[in-house]
Amino acid sequence: QRQKRKSLVPRETQVKSVELFSHLPQFDHKPLEKSFQSLLFSGLHPEVVKLGQAYANLSISGANARCLAMLAIFKLVIEDYNTPPGKVLTRDLTNHINIIIQFLIDCRPLAVTMGNAIRFFKTKIGAIHPSTPDMEAKKFLVDEIDQFIQDKILDASNVIADVASAKIQDGDVVLTYAFSTSVLRTLQAAHERGTRFRVIVIDSRPHFEGKKLVQRLCFMGVSCTYAYITSLAYILPQVTTVFLGAASALANGTVVSRVGTAAVAATANAFNIPVVVCCETYKFSHRVQLDAITHNELGDPDALCEVKNRPDVNDLRNWNDLQNLRLLNLRYDAVQDKYITMIATEVGMIPASSVPVILREYNTGPSLL
Amino acid sequence: SSMAAVGAMSGMAGQAVQGTVTRHLHEELQKSTEVTVAVAVIRTLTRAIQRSTATTVMGLEKDLHASTEELKRSYPTAISVSAASELFLRFVTRTTALDVSDFEALKQHLIDRGNKFAEISLASKAKIAELGERFLHGGCVVMVLGCSSVILNLLETAASKGKFFTVIVVESKPGTEGLRMYKALERANIQVTMILDAQVAHRLEEVDMVLIGAEAVVESGGIINKVGTYQMTLLAGVKGKPVYVAAESYKFSRLYPLHQRDLSMATEKVEIGSSELVVPLNDYTPPENITLLITDLGVLTPAAVSDQLIQLYQ
Repeated sequence: QRQKRKSLVPRETQVKSVELFSHLPQFDHKPLEKSFQSLLFSGLHPEVVKLGQAYANLSISGANARCLAMLAIFKLVIEDYNTPPGKVLTRDLTNHINIIIQFLIDCRPLAVTMGNAIRFFKTKIGAIHPSTPDMEAKKFLVDEIDQFIQDKILDASNVIADVASAKIQDGDVVLTYAFSTSVLRTLQAAHERGTRFRVIVIDSRPHFEGKKLVQRLCFMGVSCTYAYITSLAYILPQVTTVFLGAASALANGTVVSRVGTAAVAATANAFNIPVVVCCETYKFSHRVQLDAITHNELGDPDALCEVKNRPDVNDLRNWNDLQNLRLLNLRYDAVQDKYITMIATEVGMIPASSVPVILREYNTGPSLL
Repeated sequence: SSMAAVGAMSGMAGQAVQGTVTRHLHEELQKSTEVTVAVAVIRTLTRAIQRSTATTVMGLEKDLHASTEELKRSYPTAISVSAASELFLRFVTRTTALDVSDFEALKQHLIDRGNKFAEISLASKAKIAELGERFLHGGCVVMVLGCSSVILNLLETAASKGKFFTVIVVESKPGTEGLRMYKALERANIQVTMILDAQVAHRLEEVDMVLIGAEAVVESGGIINKVGTYQMTLLAGVKGKPVYVAAESYKFSRLYPLHQRDLSMATEKVEIGSSELVVPLNDYTPPENITLLITDLGVLTPAAVSDQLIQLYQ
């Protein structure tokens, strides 16, 4: 049972909630503005507060990016930490970290990657013998974090890029959605091999993350087409393979990813186009999900009524006053295992049904999965 | 058809200077028409261990590795060669990891196991026949393709137990392996008919199940088999007929094709009248088209294949 911790950040009045999603934490506008000063005085490391802000305003987003940023902050916190007299490092540092984690959750719900990394980190803290001097303990923890980052995130991403890029052949037309670092690395690897292929990037509102991907690919010299998700069915007949990123892969083979991914996967399936998901094993979770309702994250509803550079499009500006109107901005959706042809991981190419096998087989000793 | 691939390649290899290992494989294959490629490969590699002058485990593994590389180079398109080589290498690495105290004893153990492989292979076939014949209910109609020794063994076993069933054999051009299967089933006093490749859809309505062998079983749970298999399973799926694959677990491979063109293009030349066609030997049947796999590890769903492979390669 998860302990219900007291929220560190005072919440504003709730916006109108959509009943089906009322069990999820409702979106909070600018949770940090009012309480910034008080948070600094409450003893939270200023870098932690800055990180929370970055999460809340989405300037740091994406499963890998958020996890890396969090681990960087953990290293900073460890370096600045000293066990208070009369206290034991394992217990005190764990409490300290818990407060930080609660704060980050208040800014934005944790990603699965962050949750897994936290579990790993806490296991390592727990492994420290009480007689270990602070300096040694701190060095150990920082080394463990560095090892985790190197093995599970950086090296894993490279292995996946190698493995998945071999599936792209001359003349291929690859379709991808939004922005995934794993997919970018894969396309980069294929390009560096000299494979002749082109990419179609599908994008959607409100964040247009696909634009970032197009920029990077064009800079590398890859031929790109950019299209909006509404033209998906029109575009798909040209496509040979679909490559998608993941926020996490669940024990029943479902892949959770940016909202819109499920539509891309299902439509590709209808056109008999293979769907490859690039996913590091540290994103695997024991959770089982059948839909995108029981677990999800709510984004800013106001993002749906604004269109950048189009002040004339403002019919919804008073949406909050309209009694019968609710706006729903979901961040994630769930891709069913039947729509996934293959998941490319650093331990091999596997069918979606083998996610629980990886969880079982690689779950040796104090692990993160 | 793996024999065909090996045959096609050895014709080519004959031109160049053949390595010792390749020559040995050729000899093993000539020994008997009954021997499967996998058994021949493992016997060849066992001989390579015997010939090795290495005095350490690392040296032995190095020699073995060089031998498998030579085989793969000589037969780049025969999947059974690479699958069997990988299997034997894996077996050797696992065994040497266990106990390296007595090198000579270890070497002898590897040779004994290698020599026993033919028996293991036969035992696998027997296990598959035992499990598989339960799927044949009295009076059922089975459709088969080509001439898989595993399937033949399964059907002969069922018949010897007194089961009554009918077999429809698909001709399987261009090699017409179906004819060999037809004759073998006739000899076993099994009721059998042969049909054209084009008649599969035509006859499926009277069939209760489709039984096929495999060259290789891949990580996705799909199979690589004689060209025409994919077509047949697609039609069987549309008609609601179950598709059962009978294959030994040593055929499990870590390949993961996404498209038909992902298979290495093992081809053969076929003459039709005055024209010459270049025809692929194999096609890929994705897991969605397979109901169950009957293997020496038990009856598996396609999803379980990856489970086995992950455990094997951990």
